[in-house]
Amino acid sequence: MMASYHPPTELLAAYAAGTLKNSYALCVATHLEYCSECRAAVQRLNIVGAELMEDLAPTEVSESIKSAVFDRLDQIEAGQSSSPSSSASPIGSAFVSDVGNASVQATTAPSEPAGNVPKSLSYFNISDFSSLTWKKATKAISSSRLFCDVNDARVELLRIMPGGSLGKHTHIGEEVTVILQGSFSDEDGVYCRGDFMIRDESHQHMTVATNDAECICLTVQDGPIQFTGWFMRLLNPFLRIIWVRSAEPAY
Amino acid sequence: MLTKRVLETQQEDKSQWLRDLMALVAEKRDRVAFGQLFDHFAPMLRAYSLAQQPGAHLIADEIAQEVMIRLWEKAHTYKPEKAAVSTWVFTLARNYRIDMIRKTARFVDDVDPSRLWDEMEDDAAEPFQALQEKRAKEQVHKGLKELPVEQVQVLAKVYMEGKTHQEASDELDLPLGTVKSRVRLALRKMEVVLRGSE
Repeated sequence: MMASYHPPTELLAAYAAGTLKNSYALCVATHLEYCSECRAAVQRLNIVGAELMEDLAPTEVSESIKSAVFDRLDQIEAGQSSSPSSSASPIGSAFVSDVGNASVQATTAPSEPAGNVPKSLSYFNISDFSSLTWKKATKAISSSRLFCDVNDARVELLRIMPGGSLGKHTHIGEEVTVILQGSFSDEDGVYCRGDFMIRDESHQHMTVATNDAECICLTVQDGPIQFTGWFMRLLNPFLRIIWVRSAEPAY
Repeated sequence: MLTKRVLETQQEDKSQWLRDLMALVAEKRDRVAFGQLFDHFAPMLRAYSLAQQPGAHLIADEIAQEVMIRLWEKAHTYKPEKAAVSTWVFTLARNYRIDMIRKTARFVDDVDPSRLWDEMEDDAAEPFQALQEKRAKEQVHKGLKELPVEQVQVLAKVYMEGKTHQEASDELDLPLGTVKSRVRLALRKMEVVLRGSE
């Protein structure tokens, strides 16, 4: 199914330019797996990069640089792993040692994670969602931490039981969510697999998983969320530490 | 063979020439063709590096070398129907830059960032139809020349200097929202990304 909520244009552009921080890049890369429209947009955004690069005033390259590169080609052809940087890709090095590259392609393809786990998460070695360590926050919600980005942005997976609610909340920073499985809704709409949402302080929303299935999503919290219900508001000072623990409906 | 083709524009001529060279490198490991690709792209790659780090000539030399080595090593993964050679080389250069930034620890975390770009590039599913690609490239090529200076300036900050929107906003002394909307406007005008009304 096609995703119907997409990253804002300037976020896709930052992704293509390579300036997006990892947590956001992970969310965009995940969305792209589900969205051919955005994949095509990124292809076009790469063209913009290429055209801008071609428009730069070219600088002179000394002959010694060129001959150094040709020396490296000799080393590569000789089958030595010669790259001084760690950048020699498995594809590249495999290519020289194996001329028929059909088999090489097969072995270097990213390992296909089982079930509903997107390829973008293959780095975290998740074989399937149920095998993760889920920290139960409420009856309805558990979370599993993936990593921490700059500015303490937290990247985690959230698992919301069918019909479970995240309570009414807003955000101090930005929150990005990509749905990986199931669906949920808030005041603005219903979100399904692949949908990309970005929320900030101006959104006060209440997220509810649909009744028929549990919902799993990838989220980046750039700042702690703020609960706005009368009771939960009392708790806000503590939520900077473990916000999700108190995410029962606040009304 | 190349000379037999009736070529519409000089631009298309160049694109095809680069594709032919890439095919020679990928299939025949042709060093003469590689040398021509080197002469074409290495000065550009140095300029790309210097745009981000003015005056850092050693780093610029390194980027030019390493990206050209990657081109040699990954030549067989290049898909001519999906992207022009220059577009592919741009993504190689950008990914190299992302790796370098990671090494100098601007993004401190547990993730290997190049995978977030690399793998998406490699299996970006449906091949971008050759015709659409060609049309998009022409549009961008023409569009960049027609954009207002301030929009090109913001695109260059982001793409070439590698600035985040926030950094671009600080340097240009513009509100963050203005930077973002210039990016959006420019991309919409070139028909790169059409949606998004604000």
